[in-house]
Amino acid sequence: MTISHHPPEDLLADFAAGKLEEAHQLVVGVHVAGCPRCTRFVQAIEQLAGAALEDVAPVPIATDAFDRVMSRIHEAPKEAVAPALASDTDDDVPPALRKYRIGKRRRVAPGLSLRPIELSGQGQARAFLLRSAPGSRMLEHTHTGTELTLVLEGSFSHEGGHFGPGDFDYGDDEVEHRPIVGNEGPCLCLVAMTGDLRMNGFLGRLIGPFVRL
Amino acid sequence: MDWADLIGRVASGGDREAFKRLFEHFAPRIKGLMLKAGCNAEEAEEIAQSTMIAVWRKAHQFDPATAGAAAWIFTIARNLRIDLFRRRMRADRLETGLELPDAPDQAEPADILISRGQDAARIASAIQQLSAEQSLVVRLSFIEERPHPEIARALGIPLGTVKSRIRLAMNRLRDILDEEA
Ligand SMILES: [Zn+2]
Repeated sequence: MTISHHPPEDLLADFAAGKLEEAHQLVVGVHVAGCPRCTRFVQAIEQLAGAALEDVAPVPIATDAFDRVMSRIHEAPKEAVAPALASDTDDDVPPALRKYRIGKRRRVAPGLSLRPIELSGQGQARAFLLRSAPGSRMLEHTHTGTELTLVLEGSFSHEGGHFGPGDFDYGDDEVEHRPIVGNEGPCLCLVAMTGDLRMNGFLGRLIGPFVRL
Repeated sequence: MDWADLIGRVASGGDREAFKRLFEHFAPRIKGLMLKAGCNAEEAEEIAQSTMIAVWRKAHQFDPATAGAAAWIFTIARNLRIDLFRRRMRADRLETGLELPDAPDQAEPADILISRGQDAARIASAIQQLSAEQSLVVRLSFIEERPHPEIARALGIPLGTVKSRIRLAMNRLRDILDEEA
């Protein structure tokens, strides 16, 4: 897998610092996990953070903190709440997402369906898996917010280039694009999106009310 | 002090003295860094304590060949902070408790595990090639999460310079890492 489109550096640095909201952390994280180049960049930011941790002025902690920590260590670990797992036989769901609860597939337009990913509710962005039929031409659209897209299977192209498995696409409200899905098969993407999708043109206005992305 | 060595002693023999020295050094610094990154005092204290519990429990996972001790401890604290903030969101809705689980391994659905490569030396050398002022803006902006206008005031430089310096530092880091491929 040759990855040719990566997240911008400031997004990677925010990811490394744990600053991104959940949907963005997820999409950037799945890209990074499959991209040695971005893994190196994230590790470099983690190293800088380690240096910052060594240099920061220490702040006094609770006087009984060490004893409390030792007694918590010797208790049996509290049961962590096991998240509901997506089924293993679910071929839509990549391994990195198996820990998430993923909603039912919903058809949003001809040749286009999505499955919402349940997040904790923090932040403005929603995350979903988007599946589009091979060769389909998505309606021209603009965004009112940002859109982070990671290709999992198949491919699409738009004015910004060709995007195959592992590629990351970053769109904001300045981007107006009209992706065309490759003919080799359906295109499955992991998407984090804030704001709305605005369909342009006559057909867009016609089906717009039904496209609840 | 060789922190990696102390972590190794915790991993192999549950060495309480070694752990205490790690605790005394890192717990107050984790609390300090978390306060700078926007946590309140109670959250920073909880993250500091939970991080040290995870250091004890995960000591056997630490690989000194791929990560420095401080960077490794930072990643644990960062993941716990993400987890704490999500729990707080859920607690607001469901009125559940806020205390972090002591076994963060199983409770990190949001944490994509990044496979640790064997690039430690290369990453260290890339960081050393950043200028002092470049690594300082990266640290202030991304790790201490200070807003750009505050960084401008602290460094006595114009706001536009802060933004361009951060961008240059990021691009340079990427370039150096790519060059050495
Ligand atoms: Zn990448």
